[in-house]
Amino acid sequence: MKVTPRTMEEAQEAEARELLERRASRLREQGEAAVEEAVHWIAEFPLGEERYALSLETLRAALPLKMVSPVPLSAPHVVGVLRFQGQVLAALSLASLLGGHGWRQDPAVLLVVDRGDGELCALDCEAIPRPTTVPMSAVEAARVRAEGPVMEVFTQDRQLIHLIDLKRLFASRGTGGRHAR
Amino acid sequence: MPVDPLLQGLVAGFAVEAQEVVQKVTMDLLELERDGLETDALSKLYVRLGRHLHTLKGSAASLGMQDLSDIAHKLEDALAPLKANPQKMPRPVVDVLLHGLDLFLLRAQAHADGRGDALPDPAAALAQLVADAPPPEEAAAMGGPATAAPEPAAATSPVAAEPAPLPTPELPESADAGWRVSARQVTSLMREVERLREVRLRFEERGRELDRVATLLARQGLLAETAEARSLLAGTARTLRTDGEETGDIVEALEEGLKAITTRPVRTILDPLQRMVRDLSRQLGKEARLSVVGSEVSLDRRLLEKLQGALVHLLRNAVDHGLEMPAERERAGKHHEGALTMRVEQQGNLLYLECADDGAGIDLDKVRKVAESRGLVTAEEAARLNENQARDLIFRPGFSTRTDVTDTSGRGVGLDAVRASVESLQGRIEVASTPGQGTRFMLTLPVDLGSSPVLVVRVLEQLVGLPMLAVEATQLARADALRLGKRRAHWEYQGQLLPVVDLGARLGLRALTPPAEGQPLLIVQSGGKRVALAVDAVVGDRDLVIRPLPSEVRDVPAWQGAATLSRGELLLICRPDWLVTDTAQAQVVAQRRALVVDDSLTARALHRAMLEAGGFTVHLAASGARALDRLQTDTYDVVICDLDMEEMDGTQLIAKLRERRETASLPVILVSAHDSAAARERGLAAGADGYLSKRECAAGRLLAEVLDVMSRRGNRA
Repeated sequence: MKVTPRTMEEAQEAEARELLERRASRLREQGEAAVEEAVHWIAEFPLGEERYALSLETLRAALPLKMVSPVPLSAPHVVGVLRFQGQVLAALSLASLLGGHGWRQDPAVLLVVDRGDGELCALDCEAIPRPTTVPMSAVEAARVRAEGPVMEVFTQDRQLIHLIDLKRLFASRGTGGRHAR
Repeated sequence: MPVDPLLQGLVAGFAVEAQEVVQKVTMDLLELERDGLETDALSKLYVRLGRHLHTLKGSAASLGMQDLSDIAHKLEDALAPLKANPQKMPRPVVDVLLHGLDLFLLRAQAHADGRGDALPDPAAALAQLVADAPPPEEAAAMGGPATAAPEPAAATSPVAAEPAPLPTPELPESADAGWRVSARQVTSLMREVERLREVRLRFEERGRELDRVATLLARQGLLAETAEARSLLAGTARTLRTDGEETGDIVEALEEGLKAITTRPVRTILDPLQRMVRDLSRQLGKEARLSVVGSEVSLDRRLLEKLQGALVHLLRNAVDHGLEMPAERERAGKHHEGALTMRVEQQGNLLYLECADDGAGIDLDKVRKVAESRGLVTAEEAARLNENQARDLIFRPGFSTRTDVTDTSGRGVGLDAVRASVESLQGRIEVASTPGQGTRFMLTLPVDLGSSPVLVVRVLEQLVGLPMLAVEATQLARADALRLGKRRAHWEYQGQLLPVVDLGARLGLRALTPPAEGQPLLIVQSGGKRVALAVDAVVGDRDLVIRPLPSEVRDVPAWQGAATLSRGELLLICRPDWLVTDTAQAQVVAQRRALVVDDSLTARALHRAMLEAGGFTVHLAASGARALDRLQTDTYDVVICDLDMEEMDGTQLIAKLRERRETASLPVILVSAHDSAAARERGLAAGADGYLSKRECAAGRLLAEVLDVMSRRGNRA
């Protein structure tokens, strides 16, 4: 078999192709890494013995829990009403909303959140939440799995966080009081 | 007929003014059509009518709209024979005049829109108008015995022979005499005024604080050393008060001015409905008269616009479905003319609107059958419905008891649209009906602009506001005017016995107790009902801006809104109609009763939720002292108490309870954030029957522990 040596042009062309392939491969890797790095910002806080969180984008303010007026005859999850930027908001017991029984400490903070329907409300909380991130892919996967308003999401260090979907939470609840018409 | 371009700017203003004048003429015509008016009243009405028509003619002519001027002139012609001899106006004449007014308005609007050139020649319409009008002598004779001959000149003079009417001195307002602003701008201005009102309240609070500081300084035994400071403080307090009063005046003036811009009387939407009722009842061969009560109430223009459609629906419905034919009414012993009533009342931030007829009432059997035939409910469902539920079917989409589709109804679109419209305004609609006597639709709507007077009262620790309009009087309980029954007390007031309602018990804050000697009783009225409302104290009256409640508590029938007090806290405003509604307050339900004592609002709410879920009646106290007060008057099966409270902690409260014979053996459970064995021992050693950490509460142990402790105490007893 006769071997024909490559010409200079052929060799250069091969090198260029190889170089281009290496570059393309590197770019592909960067793209995949970028997708993995997409994160979802959350506000994380303890509730009972577990870690819960809200999407940071739903959080409007964190206020000290004071100046809340109780509303007799309202539903059990209603702590009272308060004034926030000229509006009257309902302060709700998050533990009660989620079917829990209490906090480890008396809540000292109210989180003003967007319920997902354009209305604001305040949720009680033990402490000011900590902003952190979870992988977006984990959130999407949890959203698909979850049937209720709470999604189980694992952080990069394999910690379990219960991410609350406020839109689902409020859509699943009827409003009104104990003696609503 | 083109209008002089120079005058076009004035025509838009004229169209608006003409609409108002035509509305007045319409109301006068409807009045003239009725029986039983005195001659004097008739004369005045005819004179006014003539003047209005002449104004229309003159204004139109001065702006070069000859077609409108001619129409007005023909209307004057039709009126002339009757004006000479005032009498009830015959229906055919009313018809012609109303038709002429419609024509006038349509053309006026076309001119205002710049479509005057495209209008058809008015000659044909005018000829038709003349043809429709009864001859003068006949018109005069139709209304009653004529005593004087009609004025021939006025009745027969051709349009051309009439000298051009003199321009009226009051020309329509120039279009550039005002500003066009968006509703959003005005509303945001209103919000700023509301904020200013709250600032004014804070002024008052700061003044009181200064007074307190001055008093404290005087108490320290440093009278001489602090004299200068106290004098300075007193001066500042005085200035602050004056500034506060001035701010208050400014707020009042701003609010009044804004109200004048943003509101208009309900009359502006109700008056045109008179004509609609008249035309519709004539079309259906019925007779109806609409009476309006409260038409002077001024409301947000946007609300009125949205309500208009709903009111039209309700009245059309009342004429078409509610009222019987005249002969049928007379057979039933009623007046041949059906009575429709529209009542408007505002209490605080709530508007009550009632549309009633004295017709046949709602036939519930028919409603059930129709709902079934239209597939809205099954036969079984229809049979199970109680009266209220069956009545509610009329609000379902697609419901109509008409079997034929007419111009008026039968398409199944009506009351469901009314309800949707009312609910879109965050309001409520209810219906009440009595067979043979009539039907009432009651609309309740929030009105959120401006402030209203509120009486602030206290019951236990809760401050409650009552719309001042609903409070008729304030009295102090006296044994000689109280009538204590087995189930409830009554208060003698102006020769009547009014049921006593204990606000604390009504709100579920405490057990029902009869009023004590000297306890304040407020006479509260709503919708014709009155009660004597027992409160613990009357705090005072305030002018407050009542805001709507958020959706989570909007449906609690006790509350109509919330207002901000001087320190920024919210005051809940109670609904008077809820207070006067007879309820199961007197029914004593044997339930286990728990008192939760905790200085944390959220802990109280959570414990209440847990215990209520377990079938307990739960009362709340925010401190040990409040709990002791509560235990003086109420009895409980168990007390759940926070260990770490300010003023009096849980162990101190237990010590006090154990000292008293009535509460010595009352089961008490301490709850604490401390989870250590030492804390638990300390609690139990203090006399607690149980001890739970918040962590254990969070794990759902509270109810089990309560039941366990009660059982153990029961066994020991």
